[in-house]
Amino acid sequence: MNRRAFLKAAGAAAVLSAGPVVVRAQGKEVKLGYILPVTGPLAFEAQLSLNGLQLAVDEINNAGGVKSLGGAKLTLLPGDTQNKVELGNSEAARLIDQGISVLIGPFSSLVAYSVRQVTEKNKTPFMLLAAVADNLTEGGLKYVFRVQPNGKAMATLTMNNMLEMARQANVAIKRVAMMHEDGNFGTTMGNHVEAFSGKLGYTLVQRIPYSLKSPDFTAELSKVKASKPDLLVISGYYGDSKIIAETASKLRIGVHALVGLANAAYSNPKFIADNRELTEQLFDGNYWHNPQSSRAKVVFAAYEKRFNSTLTSHGVQAYTVMHVIKDALERAGSTDRDKLRDALAKTNLADHILPQDAIKFDETGENVNASPALLQVQNGRPTVVGPARFAEAKPIFPVAKWHG
Amino acid sequence: MFDLDLLLQAVVSGLLLGGVYGLVAFGLSLIFGVLRIINFAHGAVMMLAMYATYWLFTLAGIDPYLSIVLTAPGFFVVGVLLQRVVIEPNRLAAEHNQLLLTLGLALFLENLALVLWQGDFRTVRPSYAGKFFPLGEAVVELPRLVACGGAVVMAAVLFVFLRRTDVGKAIRALAEEPEGALLMGINVSRIRAVAYGIGCGAVAVAGALVTPFFYVAPDVGESFNIMAFVVVVLGGMGNFVGALLGGFIVGLAESLGAALLPGSLKQLVVFAFFVLVLLFRPAGLFGGGRGR
Repeated sequence: MNRRAFLKAAGAAAVLSAGPVVVRAQGKEVKLGYILPVTGPLAFEAQLSLNGLQLAVDEINNAGGVKSLGGAKLTLLPGDTQNKVELGNSEAARLIDQGISVLIGPFSSLVAYSVRQVTEKNKTPFMLLAAVADNLTEGGLKYVFRVQPNGKAMATLTMNNMLEMARQANVAIKRVAMMHEDGNFGTTMGNHVEAFSGKLGYTLVQRIPYSLKSPDFTAELSKVKASKPDLLVISGYYGDSKIIAETASKLRIGVHALVGLANAAYSNPKFIADNRELTEQLFDGNYWHNPQSSRAKVVFAAYEKRFNSTLTSHGVQAYTVMHVIKDALERAGSTDRDKLRDALAKTNLADHILPQDAIKFDETGENVNASPALLQVQNGRPTVVGPARFAEAKPIFPVAKWHG
Repeated sequence: MFDLDLLLQAVVSGLLLGGVYGLVAFGLSLIFGVLRIINFAHGAVMMLAMYATYWLFTLAGIDPYLSIVLTAPGFFVVGVLLQRVVIEPNRLAAEHNQLLLTLGLALFLENLALVLWQGDFRTVRPSYAGKFFPLGEAVVELPRLVACGGAVVMAAVLFVFLRRTDVGKAIRALAEEPEGALLMGINVSRIRAVAYGIGCGAVAVAGALVTPFFYVAPDVGESFNIMAFVVVVLGGMGNFVGALLGGFIVGLAESLGAALLPGSLKQLVVFAFFVLVLLFRPAGLFGGGRGR
């Protein structure tokens, strides 16, 4: 008996023995499963997602559960992937055997790519969380749904937002330089910025992939400077993005703006607090909430009270995913996975806290209106400056300080 | 296409970076020369020293450069203890076991840091952290210049120490002729511990000098460690002046590669050079390696 078979058997046994007890004790419930890397290197980020799920579940249950199911309460069943593909598969299979209606997770795109075969085979709706690789919804799958923007939407909409802002300011953006880390994330972003250049009428004058471990970027940025770009776009993680911004500042890089693209640092409150002068007026296209939404304010306050920390974009996504599921449950009036899948496909949810129009899915399961926000650090705070209808403040553009 | 300003900047930042590589490589080179082990834990010890610098600055307000007075002797002691407790008992084990041992030590220390201080990136910002001055059309960052200067000073200090002091002479004797050293009445086990301690103290100095222009995180040592290995091989194992020159060569190759070649080919230049040296001058460019 291999490990997976063992887990399946063990899970099935657990359901058989526990099932009647649960029914007697709690009456109606809807079981939802999550798989997240709650231990291992991504544990901290995974916890942020889990907090968002928990917040939404409590909110829904306290407001009377799923009404079309007679007030059935949502129950979250846990699964830990440790960010490993094989654990993702076995935990997904176990949760499905325990009778979940929807699977949520799994954070990493690599794990998601494999788990989606398990959910497809078992006809279980799979709500992607945090995984952004473009190919996760490809292949004619019926049960995969994704609320947040994928890599392509992130890159193209951020470039769009930037160019639209430049147009408003009467500044021409003809030459764009890009630096990105040379892993999967940065390379995907770089590919999209390059592919998009023709369509949006800018030339990508430099594209520089770099190693995250590189201790110095002076030569690369000197090369960027020599190519005289109007805009420098950076897709990177924390330490590398810090050193790039610092070096660009010292070299008087001479661009209209430094723009992060899903950058791990440039709209990160801790990074901003640690580097106040450097970060002021940096731009970043990233996952965010809609600051105009009054509901978002309530959710942020509730999160702060419950977890004693600020709701992050991971939490916002998880919170939203849970409400998309609840909306589908109401319309399906059933916990049957196929009925639920059809209800999810027909989602048209306008009451949410994301910076986008109604949440709707196309035939591949992607949210057609998924959109990142364009942020700018203003007075030490990441501030939404685009798209215009969600903006909290006017963008400061062009940014004089990058011209030295 | 050919841009003189760009070239000047690449040469300047390549030399500054090379000094830092040399600085990290000294300890590695010494430890190899005397103990004959490839110390994979070197980057992790540097990381610990950077955390020590960070905490001394954050909690006690001690300037990173000043803190060397505390961290260098402190990490000398740490090094002696590590050698006594972990390395020495395995001295006669097969070579691959010793490799795995230092690798395991590195993983242990990195994960210990992850548990103690989380994965957060921390920065030390003394008043001079952002200072720079122009050199023609190029920019020289002050903290990087200080680190590079520190490398030259340290090479000189280590050189004199090994030539002029009794302990230094004992270290050299042990590196060149272990059995002879033993026969001459040198306490070789003690000298091995001292050498490992000096190696750790040296990398602690490197950590303190790097912290003002870098960041501190559990895996930060990896940024410098791999290149330090290359530098040690180029310079000849156990050769400080060679390590410093090797550092400059690697830094220049990396920086010029980044400036003149497309994309991320800069690492390729360095490692291609590395392989060529191994093929044609296995004892290092500067011949002084004390390879067996």
